[in-house]
Amino acid sequence: MINFILRRLAIAIPTLLLLIVITFVLMYSAPGGPFTSERPLPPQVLANIEAKYGLNQPLWRQIVTYIWGIVTEFDFGPSFQYKDRTVNDVIAQGFPVTLTYGFLSFIVAVAVGVTLGVVAAIRQNTLIDYLAVGTSIGAQVLPNFVMAPILVLTFTLWLGWLPGGGWEGGKIEYLILPVIALSTSYMASIARITRSSMLEVLNSNFIRTARAKGIPERQIIIGHALKPSLLPVISYLGPTFVAMITGSVVIDVYFSTGGIGQMFVNSALSRDYSVMMGVTILMGGLTITFNLIVDILYAWIDPKIRL
Amino acid sequence: MKHFAFGLTVSFTALTLAATAFAAGNHPETGEALAETQVFTYRVLDEHSSVDPQIVEDVSGSEIVRDLFEGLMNQDADGNLVPGVATDYEVSEGNDEYIFNLRADAKWSNGDPVTAHDFVFAWQRAADPATASPYSWYIELMSIQNGAQIIAGEMPPSELGVEAVDDLTLKVSLTQPLPYFPKMVTHATTFPSPKKVIEEHGAEWTKPENIVSNGAYMLTEHVPNERSVRERNPMYWDNDNTIIDKTVALVINDENTALARYKAGELNRTEIPTGQYPSLKAEFPNQATAFPRLCSYYYTYNLSDSGPEAFKDVRVRQALAYAIDRNVIVENVLQGGQFPAYTFTPGATAGFDVPDVDYAGLSQAERDAKAKELMAEAGYGPGGEKLEFDMLYNTSEAHQQIATVMSQMWKQKLGVEATLANLEWKVFLDTRGNQDFELARGAWCGDYNEASTFLDLVDSGSGYNDGKYSNEMVDQLLAEAKTSKDPSANYTKIEEIMSAEMPVIPIYHYTGSYMMSEDLRNWPVNNVEQNWYSKDLYFAAN
Repeated sequence: MINFILRRLAIAIPTLLLLIVITFVLMYSAPGGPFTSERPLPPQVLANIEAKYGLNQPLWRQIVTYIWGIVTEFDFGPSFQYKDRTVNDVIAQGFPVTLTYGFLSFIVAVAVGVTLGVVAAIRQNTLIDYLAVGTSIGAQVLPNFVMAPILVLTFTLWLGWLPGGGWEGGKIEYLILPVIALSTSYMASIARITRSSMLEVLNSNFIRTARAKGIPERQIIIGHALKPSLLPVISYLGPTFVAMITGSVVIDVYFSTGGIGQMFVNSALSRDYSVMMGVTILMGGLTITFNLIVDILYAWIDPKIRL
Repeated sequence: MKHFAFGLTVSFTALTLAATAFAAGNHPETGEALAETQVFTYRVLDEHSSVDPQIVEDVSGSEIVRDLFEGLMNQDADGNLVPGVATDYEVSEGNDEYIFNLRADAKWSNGDPVTAHDFVFAWQRAADPATASPYSWYIELMSIQNGAQIIAGEMPPSELGVEAVDDLTLKVSLTQPLPYFPKMVTHATTFPSPKKVIEEHGAEWTKPENIVSNGAYMLTEHVPNERSVRERNPMYWDNDNTIIDKTVALVINDENTALARYKAGELNRTEIPTGQYPSLKAEFPNQATAFPRLCSYYYTYNLSDSGPEAFKDVRVRQALAYAIDRNVIVENVLQGGQFPAYTFTPGATAGFDVPDVDYAGLSQAERDAKAKELMAEAGYGPGGEKLEFDMLYNTSEAHQQIATVMSQMWKQKLGVEATLANLEWKVFLDTRGNQDFELARGAWCGDYNEASTFLDLVDSGSGYNDGKYSNEMVDQLLAEAKTSKDPSANYTKIEEIMSAEMPVIPIYHYTGSYMMSEDLRNWPVNNVEQNWYSKDLYFAAN
């Protein structure tokens, strides 16, 4: 197991480096640059700015300087767009925000999704099953960019219960709508995956054997069926968790939370190379980490898998 | 020592006055009863680029900078010049030397006096290549001596033609007479900056915990991409007459979300989404407002060598411009009270006499007839060649609607086939800037309230002239206007030439349309540049 983890970590470093280089090259090959604007800068002014940010260097040199800065000082450089701040500032401010609402959404999605899925499976083809499946399909087909305005319309404008956006350091009333909007469709997917996998497990031989032995149904479900039926759910949860904690453009835009999801898109649009790189590395690093965690969890849940 | 004590008493009195005078009192000028709470919250589309006066380049950043810092001159509600840190100025015979007299009671938020040296430092800093200010060209535009050479790195910043004669006298030497120079010092790039603080904190100096500013407000909170808060500066010389206690800018990317939050009472001001003005005006007659802006929406022909041959024929250019029914675009598509444009410069620009361009006076039916005639003469249309070209715009629903309507008009009236092409913003700018287009959308907002801020775009040497239009007469008239005491005749003449040669198709002049709280007073609707200052606003008791 230790060997496995070490091996995976050793692969992670070149993966990240490759990610940096590819992103750099893709970024630079997109037309326009961070200082392209409707009012083109006079060549001399542009040259001064490019010199300040090192953009006048050859590409390979910029990549090397960039990686060197990260390795030696954990310095991801200054933001090209938000000139008062560095990439570290930008991420330090935005990531806790998305981490908060993303993590809460994840908990909600998993708790509600798994419960719905299990209940639907053990009451297959009953009214409860239809309701649970219906709800989750409904939630899945309602994308969050439709969901968000509907929530604001209902809870802010009609009922006046909750603020329509903002963050305020993550006060509970500012969290509720973003968490609902973000978790719904994930919850629906989790419910459907849990239901189908649960059904498969419930029809398998070892469960039949357990039933034949007269073990109480509750114990069969919780003690025997749940763990194996969660395997497909867990492989789904790894990337989902990363996607959720690194935020969602839709949530950030509709609820003005100031999270990192919108920065990913904004930085690409404004060619803020350094912020784009910083956020990409963050997301890449998290993805690699959580894929590893999922693999370890797999081995723990399913003894058939030997690492 | 005694002096210090005196200063302390004065500012203490000012503080007490400020705290008591307006709390539910009356407005000193209008006598109107004031609201208990004086907090102004407004929506901004995007996070600002910076609050460093010499670095800031965007509108939302400049709005904050105008509250935090004060330059030599301010603008009043109509856009006229009023004293800022300078009480008055003198100009030399030849219009190339200005002396600004500074007020003695102007202070930084840390209590230090604001002196002419602070301006010298700031202006040198703006030009210094090491600062790498995206607005350093503004110093060159102001024609300050040696500005261009400093930006090019050929001279040290200390050589800039600006000098502190004494603490309260600032002398500026220009390379050429510039009659509108004082108007240019309301721009953020020219605001003073605190040398001591910048040297102490470096790039971190604009953080709320470090920043020292000389305007009516101080930056007290900044959560990037969410909010920035500015609160009264008790050291500000005119703090006694300032009423708004706190101004909050909330970053809300989506305009419909912003509107919902406005309706929920979370905002005092937000932009009205395209096409919603009529319905909002009907529902909230006292809150929906529209007023002219110094901005033009246009399409530019590519007249360079890479442009299509057909556009080199002035008759084609005119025919396409005539066949656009601007009233349809303004009244049916945009619905925000915009003005149909027949000249490039908006009529609202100060000192600009809108010329009687011939096609503006015709009815649309007459214009259409003329367009068909011109097209036929040029050899296109029925019996002739079929005119086909691409029209390029940056990806946006509103631009797409307008482009669709325009291409339909051309197709129906002239049998012209315009293919719509959209590009993401930066790619679009790159493509247009490299003359890799046939017809491209453009929009321009004035940097200052003077026609040259628009007409410079058609100067053959301008970096903004993406269509590469070139006319010696226009260049000459523009050059003359720079040094003339009354250049308005030149501007009128240039517009006449432009309507005859049609290098661009003016479509409409913008309006600003806002939802604004009913009790918010003094919003400068007549200031076409929309340079507003929180210190001039107030909330009336309702």
